Amino acid sequence: MARYGMALDYKNCINCKACEVACKEENGILMGADKHRIWVGVKEIEGEYPFLSIVSSSFEPSQCQHCDDAPCQEVCPTNATYYDENGVVRVNAEKCILCSYCMNACPYDARYVDDRTMTVDKCNFCSDTRLARGETTTACQNTCPTKVRTFGDLDDPNSEISELLRTREHFSLKSHLGTKPKLFYLT
Amino acid sequence: MQIEMSRRKFLQGTVAMSVVGGTTISATNLFASNDTHDKKLTITTKTGAAKEVKNIATLCEMCVNKCAAIARVEDGVVTKLDPNPMFPKSKNMLCPRGNAGIQALYDPDRLKYPLIRIGEKGEGKFKRVSWDEAYEAILNGTDKFPGVAKILDEEKDNRSTFLFCAGEGMAEHTFKTLFSAFGSANWLNHSSICLQTVASAYGVTLGAYPQADLDNAEYIIMAGANRAEAIVTPDTMDAFKRTKGRGAKLICIDPRFTNTAAKADKWLAINPGTDLAFVLALTYVVLSEELYNKTYVAENFNGFDEYKKSVIDNQYTPEWAEKITNIKAEDIYQIARDFMAYAPKAVYYPGRRSTFSNNDFQLRRAMAIFQGLGGGIDTKGGLIFGKRLELGAHEGLEPIYARAEARAVDSSESHKGHSGYADCAVVTDGGSWIGWRNRFLEDRMPYKVRGMFCYKHNPMMNMPNTKKTAQMLKKMELVVAIDTMPSDTVMYADVVLPECTYLERTDPVNTFGGVEPSIAQRNKVVDPMFETKPIIDIMRGLTEKISKPLFEISKKHDEDLQDELANLGEEEIVSEDGNTTKTAPTMTKEEREAEVYAEFDLTKPFKHSQEEINAHMVESVYGKEAVEALNKNGVFYPNMDKFYKALSVNEYQYYPEKEKAYSVNGGKPKTPSQKVECNLANLAKKGVDPMPIWKEEYLFNVPEGKFKLLTGRHAQFTQSGTANNIVLRDLMPENYIWINKRIAKERGIAFGDRVEVLSKTGSVTIKAYPTEKIAPNQVFFIHGFGAESEALTWAYKNGGNDNTVIEDIIESVYGAASMHETNVEIRKV
Repeated sequence: MARYGMALDYKNCINCKACEVACKEENGILMGADKHRIWVGVKEIEGEYPFLSIVSSSFEPSQCQHCDDAPCQEVCPTNATYYDENGVVRVNAEKCILCSYCMNACPYDARYVDDRTMTVDKCNFCSDTRLARGETTTACQNTCPTKVRTFGDLDDPNSEISELLRTREHFSLKSHLGTKPKLFYLT
Repeated sequence: MQIEMSRRKFLQGTVAMSVVGGTTISATNLFASNDTHDKKLTITTKTGAAKEVKNIATLCEMCVNKCAAIARVEDGVVTKLDPNPMFPKSKNMLCPRGNAGIQALYDPDRLKYPLIRIGEKGEGKFKRVSWDEAYEAILNGTDKFPGVAKILDEEKDNRSTFLFCAGEGMAEHTFKTLFSAFGSANWLNHSSICLQTVASAYGVTLGAYPQADLDNAEYIIMAGANRAEAIVTPDTMDAFKRTKGRGAKLICIDPRFTNTAAKADKWLAINPGTDLAFVLALTYVVLSEELYNKTYVAENFNGFDEYKKSVIDNQYTPEWAEKITNIKAEDIYQIARDFMAYAPKAVYYPGRRSTFSNNDFQLRRAMAIFQGLGGGIDTKGGLIFGKRLELGAHEGLEPIYARAEARAVDSSESHKGHSGYADCAVVTDGGSWIGWRNRFLEDRMPYKVRGMFCYKHNPMMNMPNTKKTAQMLKKMELVVAIDTMPSDTVMYADVVLPECTYLERTDPVNTFGGVEPSIAQRNKVVDPMFETKPIIDIMRGLTEKISKPLFEISKKHDEDLQDELANLGEEEIVSEDGNTTKTAPTMTKEEREAEVYAEFDLTKPFKHSQEEINAHMVESVYGKEAVEALNKNGVFYPNMDKFYKALSVNEYQYYPEKEKAYSVNGGKPKTPSQKVECNLANLAKKGVDPMPIWKEEYLFNVPEGKFKLLTGRHAQFTQSGTANNIVLRDLMPENYIWINKRIAKERGIAFGDRVEVLSKTGSVTIKAYPTEKIAPNQVFFIHGFGAESEALTWAYKNGGNDNTVIEDIIESVYGAASMHETNVEIRKV
C-alpha cells in the first residue's frame, strides 16, 4: 500500500523524447504519434526572428496525472477505470466498452485507444511491468538524461518525492478543477 | 512474455530462414522480409512472465557516445534496454536512440547473409552466397569484378592500391588492424567530415582536445553546439540540470533557435560562419579592458603580446563585430565581462561537430585562446583534460611491403606560394575524405587506387556531393562493404559482408578518460542472428582466405622479400686474407619461408576471440577481478567498490569529490611548451595564418533570393545509421526544411508543402516547416534522411538527403568538408 506520485523538474527537459521511447518499449505501446501514454508538450515560439521569446518555448513533459479525484473514474459506466491499492488510476481492459466518456472527461488528454484491444489505455506508472517486477522507478524516470522525474510514495515522509515537495516550490496542472493531481511540477 | 504478432513472426522467420539456407531466394527479397514497403508500425514489445530472464551489461552503439546499458533478455529475446547507472560517462541514462537499439537488432531489413553483386554496379542486385564464397570472390573476383589478387598482381604489390575506410565505433580498431597488416597507406575515416578542425585546433593550441566540466561551470558560452539535441554524454546531462537561473548561466549562440536555445538564459542569433568575429571581439574587450587573468597569462601563454597587438591593431571591436555577426555590440561587451568575472569557472564550450565554415580551424584556435585568458584550463568548472586509465597492449601486425607506395596525396610545391598539399595544408591520419574522393575522380592520384574496403561507413550519405561519391564507387573496381544495414553505399558494393549488430558482439574494451575515468566493455547480449558475424570473426575468415595468396604476390614482385627468402640464415665470413665466403644456409627453404611468412601472416592479429583479447588487456594491468567486473557490470575502475554508490533514486557517486581528476597538469595546457600557443610560426610555413585573424572572404553573404543551407543533428536520429529504425521514425517520421515563416508566406509555402532545394551540386524535394526559428535568408534541414536504397523499407526516399545539395567545399587547413558554405534556391513543387 502506497500513494504513488511523481515530481517533475520540468525545466530540465530538453525534449529528447527518451521517455516516450522507454515507455513504448517497456509497456508495449503501439507505434503512432496518437498512441502514447506519455508526451512532451511544446508550444509554438512567440516573436519574429531574431526577437524570439525564450520563455514561450518551454517543454512540458506530461502523462496521466493520477488524480486523487479523477473525472475519468467518475464517468466510467462499467468501473473499468479504478484506483488500485497504490492510488494509481488504472484501466481494466476486460471491463472497458470503449464508450470513451473517460477520454472526454479527462482534462489532461491523457487517454488514447489501443487498437489491438479496442479499449482505452493510459499511463499506469509501469504498475504491471516494472513495479510488478520489483523495480522502484518508472521507465520514463529511469531513462531520462536530465532526470526530470522522481517517482515515489507520497505517504512515506522519508521518500525522496516527499522531501522534494516539502523543500521545492511546485504546482499542479489545472488545479482549479479540483482533480487533485499526483503529478507535481517543480519550479 | 507477450510479443506483438509482427515481431513474433519475424523471429520465427529467423529460425526458418536459417534452416532453409540453401534454397532459392530471389535477389530482390534478400534484404527485407516479405513485403518490402509494408509500412505498418506495429513492432513493440511488452514484457511479462518469461521462463528465463537475463540482464546483460553492454554499451550502446546507436551513436558515438557509448553509453552503458543493461539489456533485459527474456527467453532469448531482447525486450528492453535500460540505462546502466555504473558508468560515469553516461550517468544512468539512455536517450531515445539508446532505447530504440532493440530495433537495430530486430530490423527486418538487416543484412543477413554474405552477398555478391550479380547486377550492374549500384543497381542493388545481389546473390546470396556462403561466407567462403564471399571471401573467395574478394580474393579472386567473379565475371563481374576483379579480386584483390588480380589487382595487387597487376599493380605489382602496391598495397596502397586499396583504400580502407571506416565509420566511428569501438570495433573500428579491429578493422584498422587489417588495414595495418594489409599494408595500404590509404586510410580515411569520419574525422574530416566530423570533428577534425575542432580537435586539431585545440590540439595545437592547448595540447589536447579537452572536455568541459559542465557539472561545475558557472558560465557557459555554447556557440554552434547544440547539446540539447546533439547529445554528448555527460555534457548534455550536466548542462541542462543547472541552466535557467539554477547555477549555470548558458549563453547560446546559433543562427537557429534550437532546443539548446530554448534551455538557455540568452540566445543570440548569429550570421552563419561569423563566430570567429564574435570571439575576436570578446577577446578585444578582455584585452583592451585588461580583464584577463594576468598571472595565468604571464605564466602560461606563448605569443601573447603578438596576439594582443594583432587583436588591438586590427580593431576587432564589438562595434566592428556587430556589423559582421549581427550580434549587438552591447551584448558582446556584456558577455566578455561576465565570462571573465566567472572565470575560471567559465567555459567557452569547444563543441564536437562537423566543420561548418572555411575559417573553422581559426575559430577554434581563437576560442581556445579566449578560454585561456580566463585561466579556466585544467581546472574545476573550466576545460579539463582528465585522467585516463591505461589498458594493456595486444598484438598487431605491420609488415613492411617494399612495393607499397605512400598515401595518395597530391603534394604541391607551388600551392599558394609555399610547400604543402594541393587541397589542404596538413594531412592527418584520418585524411581528407572529399579531397581524396575528388582527386580519385579527377585522376590526380600518384598511382592507381582500384579497390576499397568499407566498414560501417556510408560515404553515399555522409559527405557533401552525393553524385561524386556515386561516381567514385562506380569507378572503384572492387568495393567490399561490411555493414549491418543495406545502406546506399552497400548498394554499390561488389561483395557485402554482414556484420552483426552491437547487441550481438563483444567489442574491444575501451578506456574513457575524464574527471571520473573508467574502463568499459560492450558485452555480447544475444548470439548473432542469421549468418551475421562480429567484425573480428569476419577479419579472421577473410585473412585465412587471402593471407597466403597475397604473400605469393609479394614474393613475385617484392625484391627485398625475395632476397630475404633466399638468404635468410646465411652468414658471411670474412677470413684473415680478406676473402669472403658464405656459409651454407642453416635453414631449409621451407623453414626460411615459414619464418618470413610469419611477418606477413595476416591472420595473426585475429587468432584470439575478442573476449580473450579483452581479458588479456585488462588482466595484465588490473587483475582478474577487473575482467570479471567488466563481464558482469560492463564498467570497471580502481576502487569502484568503495567509491560507487547511489546518492538518490536518480543520481550516483562515481568518485568522491577529492578523487576527481579536475586538474592533472597543474592548470597548464598540455602543449609541449606547456603554454597556450597564440602564434604558431610553423603554420605560416604551410600558408596558414599563425594567429586567428578575420578576413573579408569570411563575411556572411547570400545572394538576393537565395538561402544559406544549414544542416545539423538532433536527439532522435544519428546521421543515416538509424534512418530505418521504426521506433525513431515514430518520433520523427521525416525531415522537414525550416524556412522563415514570413518568407514562406510570401512564396505561398505552407506547412507540409513540398519544395525543391536546388544547389550547384544537385536538388532534393522535401516538405516545408515554416517557422520563426530561422532567419529569412537561411534554411535548415536535419542530416541523415532521404536514403535511396530500396532495401531500406522505412528510410527509402523518406525526406531529403542534405549531402545531395551541399557543395564539396574543402576547408583549407585539414581538408575538412565545410558544411555551411552552400547557397540554395527554393521552389514550391
